[in-house]
Amino acid sequence: MTSRRNFITGAAMAGAAAVSKAAMGAVPEAPQQSSAATVPPPPPPNGRPYNPVVTPNGWSLPWRMKDNVKEFHLVAEPVVREIAPGMKANLWGYNGQSPGPTIEVVEGDRVRIFVTNRLPEITSIHWHGQLLPNGMDGVSGLTQPPIAPGKTFVYEFTARHAGTFMYHPHADEMAQIGMGMMGFWVTHPKDPRQHAVDRDFVFLLNAYDIEPGAYTPNVNTMLDFNIWTINSRAFPGTDALAVRKDDRVRIRIGNLSMTNHPFHIHGHRMEVAGTDGGWIAPAARWPEVTVDIGVGQMRALEFTADAPGDWPFHCHKSHHTMNAMGHDVPNLIGVDHRGVARKINDLVPGYMVMGDKGVSMGGMRMPLPENTLPMMDGQGPFGGIEMGGMFTTIKVREGLARGDYRDPGWYAHPQGTVAREWTGPAPEPVRAAAAPAAPDEPVANVKRGDGHTMHDGH
Amino acid sequence: MSAHRHKRAPQRRHRTAPATLCAAALASALLAGCAGVTPDHGFAGVADSTRERIGATPRLAQDAAAAQELQEIVRAELAAPLTMDGAVRVALINNPGLQATYWNVGIAQAELAQASRLPNPALGFQRVSGQGEVEIERGLNVNLAAVLTAPLAARLEARRFDAVRREVGAAIERHALETRRAWIEAVAAQQSLDYARRVHAAAEASAELAARMRGAGNIAGLDLAREQAFQADAAAALARSGRQVTAAREKLTRLLGLWGQDTQYTLPERLPDLPDAPAELRDVERLALARRLDVQAAKADAEATAASLGLSRTTRFVNVLELGYAGKSERSAPSMRGYALSLELPLFDWGGARVARAEATYMQALQRVADTAVTARSEARESYLDYRSAYDLAAHYRDSVIPLRKRISHEVLLRYNGMLASTQALLADSREQAGAVNAYIDALRDFWSAQAALQAALGDRIDMPGAQPMPPAANRHEDHQ
Ligand SMILES: [Cu+2]
Repeated sequence: MTSRRNFITGAAMAGAAAVSKAAMGAVPEAPQQSSAATVPPPPPPNGRPYNPVVTPNGWSLPWRMKDNVKEFHLVAEPVVREIAPGMKANLWGYNGQSPGPTIEVVEGDRVRIFVTNRLPEITSIHWHGQLLPNGMDGVSGLTQPPIAPGKTFVYEFTARHAGTFMYHPHADEMAQIGMGMMGFWVTHPKDPRQHAVDRDFVFLLNAYDIEPGAYTPNVNTMLDFNIWTINSRAFPGTDALAVRKDDRVRIRIGNLSMTNHPFHIHGHRMEVAGTDGGWIAPAARWPEVTVDIGVGQMRALEFTADAPGDWPFHCHKSHHTMNAMGHDVPNLIGVDHRGVARKINDLVPGYMVMGDKGVSMGGMRMPLPENTLPMMDGQGPFGGIEMGGMFTTIKVREGLARGDYRDPGWYAHPQGTVAREWTGPAPEPVRAAAAPAAPDEPVANVKRGDGHTMHDGH
Repeated sequence: MSAHRHKRAPQRRHRTAPATLCAAALASALLAGCAGVTPDHGFAGVADSTRERIGATPRLAQDAAAAQELQEIVRAELAAPLTMDGAVRVALINNPGLQATYWNVGIAQAELAQASRLPNPALGFQRVSGQGEVEIERGLNVNLAAVLTAPLAARLEARRFDAVRREVGAAIERHALETRRAWIEAVAAQQSLDYARRVHAAAEASAELAARMRGAGNIAGLDLAREQAFQADAAAALARSGRQVTAAREKLTRLLGLWGQDTQYTLPERLPDLPDAPAELRDVERLALARRLDVQAAKADAEATAASLGLSRTTRFVNVLELGYAGKSERSAPSMRGYALSLELPLFDWGGARVARAEATYMQALQRVADTAVTARSEARESYLDYRSAYDLAAHYRDSVIPLRKRISHEVLLRYNGMLASTQALLADSREQAGAVNAYIDALRDFWSAQAALQAALGDRIDMPGAQPMPPAANRHEDHQ
């Protein structure tokens, strides 16, 4: 791996980069990233200054300046992405990862991007949201011939408007986006003080259908995805967003999945500061705690992190915050398993009753098929968070150093600020008198928890 | 001198010196001289050859004491779960039909002994009186014809005795084969019943769970009815399987000759495990030709015909052929039901036609030997190939199908653990696994049956190392984890 840092510090053309200089001639080196860790952003080494963004579980692509043009090199290729510890996926991406590296330029930059196709089929790159010459739009067949396997194309245009963008193939999209081909693009304003924030995070929302025990997404799946991800990472694999208290925080989200995602923040109000079309005038912004991000849309959300703590930030579609679960599992809630569980256990040793009191696993860990994440396995300081998928935390702390994005650990709550069990006498709840059930209504019933969370049958 | 030791002696003598009546007569006389009724009724020889060929010794219940002893042996054998070989041992001493057949040997031996003795001379006394005269005649009569033909009669009886012993031997082998097959069927049927029970239990649990789900309002009546219908079908299959067990066990009981309390015997829970490797038999055809009783019988016939031919040439006037082949039956079960001896006076017929007939009959016997040999070779090949392919199929189940089914069950359980598969999917898989194990039992049953048939076709035991009883866990679900 050639890390971004040694690329920038002069060893730009050296290292074990996959595309050799000899083969590529004048084409710049294509740095690779093999880790799914968040790479903290260095300041730009040359060109116009800007405040770099942070790509959680990702990185930004180094460039070289040539004749005052920023030259990038993207290599479209198969990659292995760790979705979360315990699960890897065979994806397609760019320069070793999916999503590909974030491209950061400054308003007015002349940009030249070399794209080498190392996939087994044709591809192209569409610069989603950019205003550029038609022939640079990257739509194979319509604005350019497709990039054949083994070929390198070059795109060149000027990044005209500051804003939030994406890149993705516009050839065999269902398969190629379904395999994880996408990346973030940020065009910074010429004046770094304009729209300046203290922390600027970017991520893409994507979804995969990976059969438990398998590694490659089914690219023919249209709606029944089972792995919902932020930057192709699923909680508990998503890195926390570390934030200093009172920082002005921006989170830019692009949605390249096939459904919308209402993203919800805890403990703060946020506002939509930017859309695909650009920045929203401050007077036109309105507060939200949930912002829906439609398919193919980008939103820049901003808030002031004034509340210390570990705050969830997640999609509010509940099945998007858990990992793979069977789509045909019948509902066992409220089903009495006494007796029948033992019978089943005789036939299937190792059988345990699940789902009769809900789907919470109550901390139970059982062996799963290989390469399969537990449904809701995120752990917190008080136990199971019972979340997965499109879930992360914003960790607001006093006194974090500027540029320090390391996970600060669990929040230490001030005395008396944590919900606790009430041990005094509980007031009697007031209920309306129940109407007597008709005799031929056997299925309408009410069962209340008795405090037991353990499962029988084992 | 026991009877069986001279069963070939006279024939061999005639083969080497076929031209003299004296030699034939001498041989017959020798034979006649030592033929007698032995205490075992001639059965010991049969028992010896059977022990060697099928690994079990038939015993003749010749008196009350012996019957008592046999009864004790049977009881001892039945005290533990009855093995396949144990079943054969019991059948060979306990089946009354077979015991009846054993007495054929005794009858043949007695007839041989009878034929070997010269008829008693008759003392005649005649007194005639009338008209005052009394005439008394005294005379000592010897049946000259009987004296002259006695050696021949003894020789023919010896052959008959030999044939009867072969017949009884064949009957024992047939019974042993049938018993083995019945034992295999009975054990397999029991095992299949066990799996029918498992399938039913899975269907029952599934239906019960569905009923609970219906009760909780989680599924529709249609889904519940489907589960219940499945359970009802499984119950029918279970009942059918129970009938099969009864039929198979009763067949075995009949072959064992058991009744009353003794029918309460137990069988092992499982068929013996598949041997690690099938028997490698290099030359099954040679083995069959050397050991099969029908081949031996055809050869003995041809040899006897050769002897008769020589005899016909030299005697000409003694009607050997008629008695030799009167009532001769099929190739596979040669038997002589009786004979008549006559001594002719060569006034009109000098015996030329009779010699020609003897020659033709001899040629016929030779062709019969060839025919028997061709059939034996073919049957040996067929049963060996059948045995090998039955082994391969059973091994395929053991080495591929069952491990794959276990793997599938394991994976389904893992999926269930992750709430990726339902309880119903687990139960459906449990049923499918039971079905695969049942198919393996069928394949194993076919293998053991083919092995028994191969033994019968070769007239020999096939002992394979590693044919141990199946360990209890081999076809259970415990290996899940
Ligand atoms: Cu969502």
